[in-house]
Amino acid sequence: MSFASFLLRRSGGLLLVLLVTSFLVFGLLYLAPGSPLAFILGPRGGTPEQIAAVTEQYHLNDPFIVRYIAWLGDLVQGDLGRSLVYRQPVGDLLLARAGTTAALVSLAAVIIAVVGIIAGTWAALRRGWVDQVVSTLAAIGLSTPVFVVGVALISLFAVGLGWFPTFGVGTGGLDSLWHLFLPAMALSVASAAYLARITKTAVNEERTREHVQTATVRGLAPGLIVRRHVLRNALIPITTVLGLTIATLIAGAVVVENVFALDGLGSLLVKAILQRDFAVVQAVVLVLVVAFVVVNAIVDVLYTFIDPRISLGSKQ
Amino acid sequence: MVLRKTALSSAAVLALASLTLAGCSAPSGTSDQKGPASLELDLDNLATTTPAGTKPIDEVKWNLPYEPSSIDPIFTWNYAENTATANLCESLLRMKPDLSLEPGLASTVDQPDDKTYVYTIREGVTFWNGNPLTAEDVAFSLQRQIGEDSKSYWGDYFSNVVSAEVTGDMQVTVTLSEPDVLFAQAMGSAAGAIVEKAAAEAGGDAFGTPKGDLQCTGPYKVASWDSGKRLVIERNDAYWNTEVKPLAKQISFSFIADESTAINALSTGDVDGQFFYLPPAGLSQLQKSKNVTTTFGESFVFWTLAPIGKDGGLGDEKIRQALSLAIDREQLSKVVFQGAAIPAATIAGPATWGYEEDAFAEAFKEFDVTADIEAAKKLVAEAGAPSEPIVLAVQGSSAVHEQTASVIQAAGQAIGLNVQTKVIPVEQFGNLYFDPAAREGLDGFFTTNYADFADPLGVYSFFESANSHDYIGWDGADAEIAEALKTTDDAKRAELVIGIQKKVTEALPWIPLAYEPTTMIQSTRISGAVPSFAYLYAPWAVSIGGTE
Repeated sequence: MSFASFLLRRSGGLLLVLLVTSFLVFGLLYLAPGSPLAFILGPRGGTPEQIAAVTEQYHLNDPFIVRYIAWLGDLVQGDLGRSLVYRQPVGDLLLARAGTTAALVSLAAVIIAVVGIIAGTWAALRRGWVDQVVSTLAAIGLSTPVFVVGVALISLFAVGLGWFPTFGVGTGGLDSLWHLFLPAMALSVASAAYLARITKTAVNEERTREHVQTATVRGLAPGLIVRRHVLRNALIPITTVLGLTIATLIAGAVVVENVFALDGLGSLLVKAILQRDFAVVQAVVLVLVVAFVVVNAIVDVLYTFIDPRISLGSKQ
Repeated sequence: MVLRKTALSSAAVLALASLTLAGCSAPSGTSDQKGPASLELDLDNLATTTPAGTKPIDEVKWNLPYEPSSIDPIFTWNYAENTATANLCESLLRMKPDLSLEPGLASTVDQPDDKTYVYTIREGVTFWNGNPLTAEDVAFSLQRQIGEDSKSYWGDYFSNVVSAEVTGDMQVTVTLSEPDVLFAQAMGSAAGAIVEKAAAEAGGDAFGTPKGDLQCTGPYKVASWDSGKRLVIERNDAYWNTEVKPLAKQISFSFIADESTAINALSTGDVDGQFFYLPPAGLSQLQKSKNVTTTFGESFVFWTLAPIGKDGGLGDEKIRQALSLAIDREQLSKVVFQGAAIPAATIAGPATWGYEEDAFAEAFKEFDVTADIEAAKKLVAEAGAPSEPIVLAVQGSSAVHEQTASVIQAAGQAIGLNVQTKVIPVEQFGNLYFDPAAREGLDGFFTTNYADFADPLGVYSFFESANSHDYIGWDGADAEIAEALKTTDDAKRAELVIGIQKKVTEALPWIPLAYEPTTMIQSTRISGAVPSFAYLYAPWAVSIGGTE
């Protein structure tokens, strides 16, 4: 398949997924109890006239399908709508927060890749106590909820030792890297543990393959065998898992962003859901879906680099 | 979902709550014991100021419990919004830290008759952009709150206002359809805040948002608002009142919503201060920290149980009286609020006595918070216990709601009332205030509320039967309330309000539970922030400075 037709097929699929997702999200929000009025008017309520005026202004009484089609129409014209609560265009809200989530997820992805692959490979090659320690740590990491890890990291490294700040994204550059380190750690623990396990299994499997044994019998240097024959083949499952993990990280960032008071898409989504800020929820979900699909497409492309025998978009 | 709790389990919850909150070392106090359970505070001597800062400081980092949705004063009707706007936009009257009102942007207010207020605008005041404050700006700021189409959240205070017009060079005249003493006092809250007409018209819907250029006259001006991250305000060096010399060059607001994250940030010095608008767990942790000071200030805030429905379990006055009599408010303040609350005998507390204080104080003596189980039992016997359980709405994931409900369940149990709770998720709880459908099947819910200025009438006017706060349609004082709203003479009004207070406190359209002081945390690096309730409406940061 050519790269162009691959892109075309993927974008078509993406549009379909987006349409279905947006309909579902819109419908679910519409059905869920609660109204944005409480947040528009503040906790002290409002006069009946005010309630009527706001309901009218934001079309809160229009039937679901009318609101959905109106929203879809605006979207086609590149208008994501206005936030009820923040009185701003949703696009502005997203732009202001996308950078934080992107930085957080990228940093976490790097940590996951480095820690997961090194620990997994190390466990597979050394076996014995190293394997024991890595496996145990991986089990603990996998079973500990993200917010627990986050709170523990804050208590130890931010409050206890004072090495890191307790919240926020800092002022950019190195300061932001410093601010995002603990959140990225918290976000990556479970995924790094999972990747370590997958890597270990994949490496172990490759080691028993015929061509590796042949290479060993031929007396090739062990380092070369590991790099050329073991890791290279093991990279396919590793990349798959890493790709899927990064896609899910975007959703996982929700919890971490709240614990560390980061202004990312995740915390925006949580607030918007609580406040029934329809346009914002819809837009953030769409961004997450796009990111998920795009990351998976990138993984597919990576396959062809790792193993040129795999053709673009093949199901193999 | 109705959570059925036996007496045993609610007692267990209560015991657990007192253990975890009060700390195991605290001796189990008797109900007549005054002192706080574990927090150190003197409830009889709440603060209105903190020692002024002594040296200039470049930046003060202050936390807001969430990001303001707007800093345009007509939309600032809530804690975070007002906390920010109070330093930016000034009102016609100004609230002093002791909660009294003094002239603000209006140098004088004349009242040729009860329906007319003539505001003389202060000379020499400029907006941040250098333009002078004119009568035109004042009239505009008031006009945009008048009428049914107005988007202002302060509409209640303008319901009797017919017009606000420029009647002189520096004069604006407000005409009312009938006398309204609440309007006059509300000019000391954000309802009376003045913005520049030209900027507001140019800004349109974006005015007061991160994209819109707010223009006010306050001692601080907006420096930047990075949506989601921070709102930075900086000293207005051209401030008209040259007696006010803020020492802090910049106040940078963060928006940490998570309470434990906020407490961590405060205790490590990542932020310098915060006003807590809910009594948080973790306050005792902060009180132990050497890096921060905790100040409890004068406040108009009260915690109350609002009964729902004329025909519901709390529709009967005697049942309300019985339940109220059975509640041990001392215990409630101690357990639920860790001692950082004052048992409330009436809805509007002593902080609201802004005039005729002696008369209010004298009348207040009539009420007390002593529980009387026997008298309560008698009332239940007379009225007959409701056949259906009394269902109270409890806000999901709020410890204060849940623990208060437990206290009230126990009180009901003691006098033969079957009180149950229904957990309402936090995202739906707000609907109870304005959506009758959301209140169906419920007999009461808890609410934190406050007066906007020192007049108990501001709160008692809720109980006029047409008011949206009167959820049981109680009409026992309609005539008196209407009359008091028209009474501009303080002594006469006080007399009327005292009468209303007596009727309300006896009939209990709302059941008072506790008065909550303002809690202010300040890093030891700084001092001078205003810890009284005035922080919502007047510049509370002008006295902040560094400490030696």
